[in-house]
Amino acid sequence: MMSEQTKGKSLMLSIIGVCILMAGIATVYGQSGGFSEFKDYVYPVGKLIPRDSVAMLKVGDSAPNFTLPAVYGSKVSLNQFKGKRNVVISFVPAAWTPVCSDQWPGYNIVKDLFDKHDAILLGITVDNIPTLYAWTKQMVTQNENLWFPVLSDFYPHGAVASKYGVLRSEGVTERAIFLINKKGIISYIDIHDINQRPPLEDLAKALEALDKQ
Amino acid sequence: MKKSRSQIVTGLSLLVILLLYGSVSQGAETTGAVGFQKKPFLGKSSPMLELPIPQDAADIRYLGLSGAGNFTIEQVKSRVLIIEVFSFYCPHCQRSAAQVNELYQNIEVRPGIKEKIKMIGIGVGNSLYEVNSFRERYRVPFPLIPDQSMEIAELLGVRGTPTFIVVKLDGKELQEQIYFGEGGFQDTRQFLAEIIKSAGLEAEGTK
Repeated sequence: MMSEQTKGKSLMLSIIGVCILMAGIATVYGQSGGFSEFKDYVYPVGKLIPRDSVAMLKVGDSAPNFTLPAVYGSKVSLNQFKGKRNVVISFVPAAWTPVCSDQWPGYNIVKDLFDKHDAILLGITVDNIPTLYAWTKQMVTQNENLWFPVLSDFYPHGAVASKYGVLRSEGVTERAIFLINKKGIISYIDIHDINQRPPLEDLAKALEALDKQ
Repeated sequence: MKKSRSQIVTGLSLLVILLLYGSVSQGAETTGAVGFQKKPFLGKSSPMLELPIPQDAADIRYLGLSGAGNFTIEQVKSRVLIIEVFSFYCPHCQRSAAQVNELYQNIEVRPGIKEKIKMIGIGVGNSLYEVNSFRERYRVPFPLIPDQSMEIAELLGVRGTPTFIVVKLDGKELQEQIYFGEGGFQDTRQFLAEIIKSAGLEAEGTK
C-alpha cells in the first residue's frame, strides 16, 4: 500500500530525524523549528545572555548615519531615505543561528505592513556578503529575493552595530529593532532578549505610532 | 586503494543503517497501515489540550463549536481533524501554504467527505497577530489558532514546522491519531485519499 514516494519520504524523514537527534537540535526546538531542507544548517547556539551590550542611543536621538554594502546591488546609506521614507533597522545576531533564521522570513511576507506606513526595512548582521547571500537565499522560493535590502556590517567588524550600541562582546549583535522617522530621528528602540523573537505586533504598533507623529 | 575505499563505503553504509534502524525501531510499534507514520500522544483523554475558540463566527461554525473560551479537539464536530502545526516565520510553511489550501478545497468540494474532515492550523510560537497576518497573506480558508507558549505543540510531540497530524474523532472522545508527518506532504490528492482510507470513511460511502 505504501507508495514509493511515501517510502522515500519516510526514509528521508528518518535521516532528518537522526540528524536532528545527533545535533541535539530537538532540545532547542523552541528556538528554531523549521523543517526546511536547511534546518540542519542552523547552528544550535543554546541559551545566551539576554543582553550583552551598553545602550548608546535613546528615542529622540538623531540616528547615526552609515553606509554598508548590500547583498544585492551596491551600498545603502541611511541618509538616502531622509525626508522620503521611515526606516526600520533589524539587527539580528548572526546568520545560520536560531530565531533569526526565521525572523526575516516573517518580515518577508508582510511587505504590506511596511508599505502602509511608508517604511523601508534594512536587515543588518555582522556576517560577510557571501554568507548573507547563502543564508537569505534559503529563506525564499527559488528565483525570488527578500523584498528588503540585507546589509553586511562585517568590516570593519560591527562598526555600525557599535555606533548603535548593539555589538555584543562575542562579536555578534543584539536582536534589535530601531525605527527611524523621515526626519532621521529615532522613534522606537527594541533591544530584545537575544533568545526570543520580537512579536510582530510590537513593531506594527510602533509603525502606527509613527503615523500619528 | 580501491579495496579500502569500498571498505569505507561499507562501513559508512553500516553506520547509516544502524542509525536508521535506531530511529525506525523507536517508532516501529506504532507504525500503522498505509504508510502513515503514527506516534503516540495524548491518549484518549486530553484535558490539557485546550485551544482558544476562534473569534471568527465562520470559523466557529466550521468547527461546530459554540460560545467562547477554550475548546478541546474532541469537541470539533467532525470525524477527522487535520492539524497543521505551522509558523508565520517558517519559510517551508509559507511555500506550502497554497498546497495546504488546496487540500482544504479538495475536501470541501466532496459532499459526504467535507462534513467528516475538518482542518485547523496551530501557529507554534506565534501571536494572534502573526497567525492572522499569515492567514491574510495566504488567504487560508480554515481556522488558524496561535500557540504562542508552544505548549500545544509540545503536547502534540511536534519538533518542527510544518508538521501534519490527523486524528480520528467520534463526537465524544479522541479515538486515535492516524497520521503524524513532519515536513509536509507531497501529493495533495494522494494525501487526502490516504486519510480517507485510514480513517475508514471510504467504507461508509459518501451519502
